[in-house]
Amino acid sequence: MYSRVSMRAWSLTSPPGNFPHISNPRQDTLLWSTKHVLIMTTKTGDQGPPQDLASHADIKSSAKSAPPPETPAAVQTRFRVIAAFWAVIIFLGFPIWWKTTSIYRASLPIEEMVDWADGKACRPVFPLDIHLAAPSMQLAEAQHLLRTTQHTLDDLNEFAAHHLRLKLANDSTTSYGESDLGTDVSGEVADTALTVRLLPQEDLVGPRSELHAAATQLDVFYPPNQVPAPSSSNSPISKFIAEELQGLYGEEKATIAHILSGHTAGLASTSPQLAEDISRRLRRSMKYAETYHLSFSLFTPGSMPSSWDIEAAVKEYVSPLLKALSPISDFTVDTQVQLYANFAPTAPKPEFDEAEAAWTLRKEDLSAFVNAAEWPLNPSIGSGPTINFILYVPEPSQSPLIVKENRASSWIVPQWGGVFLLNPTLSTDKTSESNPAHLSRDALGPAFMTFSHQLLTLLGTPSTPASLPLRLQTSIRIRAATLLLSASSTMGSLARLTESLPSIPIPATVATSVSTTISHLGSTCSNLREGRFGAALASARVAETEAERSFFEKSMVGQVYFPDEHKVAVYLPLLGPIGVPLVVGLLKEVKRIIAGRKAKRAAAS
Amino acid sequence: MTVLSLLSLPLVALLLSFCSSTVVASSDYHENLLLHPLPQSALLASFNFRSNTSQESFDQQHFRYLPRALGQILQHAQTKELHLRFTTGRWDAESWGPRPWNGSKEGGTGVELWAWIDAPNDDEAFAKWITLTQSLSGLFCASLNFVDSTRTTRPVVSFEPFGDHSEVDQLHLLHGTLPGEVVCTENLTPFLKLLPCKGKAGISSLLDGHKLFDAAWQSMSVDIQPVCSPEGDCVVQIEQTVDMVLDIDRSKRSRSNPIPRPVPNDELVCDTSKPYHSGDTCYPLGKTNDKAWSLGQVFGRNLDGICPLADTEGSHEESVCLQVPHERGVYISQGAQEIKKDDGFTRCFKLAPSTPFDLSIPQQTVNVEVPLDEPVLHAERTIVGNGQERGGMRIIFSNPSNASAVDFIYFETLPWFLRPYIHTLRATITGRDGVSRELPASKIVKETYYRPAIDRERGTQLELSLSVPAASTVTLTYDFEKAILRYTEYPPDANRGFNVAPAVIRIVDNVHHAPIYIRSTSLLLQLPVPDFSMPYNVIILTSTVIALAFGTIFNILIRRVVSLDQASALGATTLKGRIVSKVVAIQDRFRGKATKVE
Repeated sequence: MYSRVSMRAWSLTSPPGNFPHISNPRQDTLLWSTKHVLIMTTKTGDQGPPQDLASHADIKSSAKSAPPPETPAAVQTRFRVIAAFWAVIIFLGFPIWWKTTSIYRASLPIEEMVDWADGKACRPVFPLDIHLAAPSMQLAEAQHLLRTTQHTLDDLNEFAAHHLRLKLANDSTTSYGESDLGTDVSGEVADTALTVRLLPQEDLVGPRSELHAAATQLDVFYPPNQVPAPSSSNSPISKFIAEELQGLYGEEKATIAHILSGHTAGLASTSPQLAEDISRRLRRSMKYAETYHLSFSLFTPGSMPSSWDIEAAVKEYVSPLLKALSPISDFTVDTQVQLYANFAPTAPKPEFDEAEAAWTLRKEDLSAFVNAAEWPLNPSIGSGPTINFILYVPEPSQSPLIVKENRASSWIVPQWGGVFLLNPTLSTDKTSESNPAHLSRDALGPAFMTFSHQLLTLLGTPSTPASLPLRLQTSIRIRAATLLLSASSTMGSLARLTESLPSIPIPATVATSVSTTISHLGSTCSNLREGRFGAALASARVAETEAERSFFEKSMVGQVYFPDEHKVAVYLPLLGPIGVPLVVGLLKEVKRIIAGRKAKRAAAS
Repeated sequence: MTVLSLLSLPLVALLLSFCSSTVVASSDYHENLLLHPLPQSALLASFNFRSNTSQESFDQQHFRYLPRALGQILQHAQTKELHLRFTTGRWDAESWGPRPWNGSKEGGTGVELWAWIDAPNDDEAFAKWITLTQSLSGLFCASLNFVDSTRTTRPVVSFEPFGDHSEVDQLHLLHGTLPGEVVCTENLTPFLKLLPCKGKAGISSLLDGHKLFDAAWQSMSVDIQPVCSPEGDCVVQIEQTVDMVLDIDRSKRSRSNPIPRPVPNDELVCDTSKPYHSGDTCYPLGKTNDKAWSLGQVFGRNLDGICPLADTEGSHEESVCLQVPHERGVYISQGAQEIKKDDGFTRCFKLAPSTPFDLSIPQQTVNVEVPLDEPVLHAERTIVGNGQERGGMRIIFSNPSNASAVDFIYFETLPWFLRPYIHTLRATITGRDGVSRELPASKIVKETYYRPAIDRERGTQLELSLSVPAASTVTLTYDFEKAILRYTEYPPDANRGFNVAPAVIRIVDNVHHAPIYIRSTSLLLQLPVPDFSMPYNVIILTSTVIALAFGTIFNILIRRVVSLDQASALGATTLKGRIVSKVVAIQDRFRGKATKVE
């Protein structure tokens, strides 16, 4: 800058290039000299040494003289200045900038996460322990029967991940399989899925079985003469037991195969009907949660009925079921009465069907039945999804109301809840018909039976076998498998997300959640392998919760949409004007050094 | 058939108080409507809906009259008593007299919420309070989620629980206001949905957002509290009220053509006794109360029968009451029964179950007016002073009574960016003679509870216990300083001003025991507003200055200083130097010529 200013001052007065063309050089020089002196005083000595001024008298002779070469000290100083500036930039400025603008990314076990998502880390297996109790048989006979039955079962099984392991009840020495039996209270022992009791019965031709509806027990009655001889390799009883068990666990097996195979093809032997049922049930069922809120609502378009015997109905029909379901999830129950609940204006109106003598709703219109905008069906507060059950009492002028295609009065809204149309007997007034003002417990009976069935379906409980405890056990295994897969796939998604978006921050909490998830996934897998399904479900629940927490971490999404243009807009006004002299200075210096080196080399050679 | 009743029985005026008797029953529902024509052609309509739910069914979440959404919010936030108010407009106490429900069912302009929350300590109570406001915000479509710590106070003496609470609960009172909230139809719709008859039957069918929010003053309230009988049976009571003051002329305008138009000359009501009265000069007369109106005209809807849930047994059978002198004629729809109370001004109507009800009052000159009480206290609050840095608050209390002093509690919450100087609190008293004299504030203020603000954390809370002597006006003033906010703290419309919540006055009435509440209007505070492009200017300017300084210093340090001829000798060797010297030469030729001409 300075040299530029001085050059300007000089050139203004008389540049050397002009000098020869002036006609009276002497006069002009004189004039110029006085001018120059004047300028020098105003410039207060920012010019060169005084001898410069003196030499202007004979400027003609010295016009093209090159300056003396720079002293090595000056060159050295300049080099040091530039080096110092760049050192500050590189060793102080750059690290500060890096530190203050960098995004914290905790390290995640990406490979492990991807392994879980790809199913490489764990191959879930479902060994079911079935206890065989044969009180009336000899030990050797029983062991032989067990061996042959197990053999038949293994022959029948086509899905290796799900297999049944037979054990003799109350006899640890004859335990079949590799599982070590500890004491029952330690929790280390595998859950007993089913107890098969073999009971001799005299007047039978072939074996027959009976499943307890309220216990995990299968009674097999057999004619005493059919007890297999120790020598025979096959017997009707073992074949019968194997087929019975196969039948009991057929649906479960198909469901688990369906889940594990990624919702494509299940087992080859599954009938298309069953496969369709399974995939429909999986589509309808709610996502697993630790707590479900059950909300029972009475809706009616008029003012009647305005009360219902709900406490008794819940106590009689819902509470026992919830008690049975309590190992899987917690439930809260709330109820409400909503009058003057009209259909949405856009919803199709029910039509009167002469043949049925009833008002009918078409099947395809059922999705518009619930007026979500006006009916107060907001989800309950607190964590966990809400399952809505709607008891709809049509107004007397539209009663009875049924579904046109199949005369049904109830349906399930997938992953949301169920609806039941209740057509109470109308009390006929002298002028008009009206609904009863109060719905008694008996009137609510059919509706609440339907609701409890719908609840089981919405929770994804299979429809077979007939025994509720067995179905709930099945449900535990299905839930564990589903959660295992869903948490694993969440891990995979998180891994892909963090790899594809390098600009998002990863807080330490996410890393913690991921490691918790992975450790719980591991324990789920080992629990499954050892047949402890309750424990497996518990760890799968933790894994799922943590996986969701890590995936939906709020602070991760905040920075995603911070564009680079903003950074340029903030940096450029400062870095542009500062950067240019710095870079130019550096380049010149580098050039000088290279030239110096060359010169030296040339001198040396 | 219509019934024309013309009776003139001016009796002792008694204002109805519907809810003076609290009936405790396990589960019931009541609703009623009081219509009260006020001076200046205004009509006060007070809707009241009240229902009880037994404590057991509330705890078990079996909801019948109590809305499920609200009940679950209360349970989730462990709120034992809740009061929520939505108010717009100003109650003109000088024309309309004392407030309905003694002011206990109204809030300050905007939204006001206070609740008693059961929590072991203050922090947990605040956490539950935040849960409560967030949930209510969703339920009522109001910005209640903006009630944060700066807008929350814990009043000490201004509010008392209405309900009966058990001793074991550790109750915390929290109070929050949103003075800037615009109450409108989106708040009325969820409010109506909470009612068992949902605005489709009963008196709630009259409520229409177009009319309600066109009113000169309106207030919606929701109160939930436990009520226990002496035997120990407890119910959870929810009471919803809507009070509105409609201008009858304005309401009667048809909805299809709502634009007000000037009254034609021949329809102007003029004072003909004035000497200058002529065809083109008119001294307008005040509005009279003898105008004709009907429910259908004023509310724009008919009343669709009764809500069948309402308890028709007992003394609350009349769901609609009207306060006009008995001499005034009233037409009612067929099927309804009129019952005249013996106070001379009140008549109630028993409606037919399912037929629409309308009520029509013809134009009639009456000699008797329904007497209006004088309010116990008038209060007014304004911001005084000028400039953007400081200001002052002035509160005027006037006691109209000639006999007795009035004791009350004055409660105000100030935002943190308004910093009051409490030491500047001064009181001036003015008697009826108009002479004002200054006196120490301690003569008027008996007790003070003051909790100073913390910037960005909480607002100022000031509770004063005051006494205004009979027939005098007291003016309290104090100064304040306006804070400068951070750039991001300004709302989009910063130049509009910042709302300051209304002050709440609780009059301790020893006669009636029930407290009387008065609320001042909300205030607008002008804060200094910066130029919002400032940060960018600052970035550019500082960058330029730094770059300039840096470049200069850097160049001095690294450039070599030579004389001009040396420079040209150096420069002539490079292409750039040659170009530069050419340019300089050309420049100087021009300048040199100019010098010669000189």
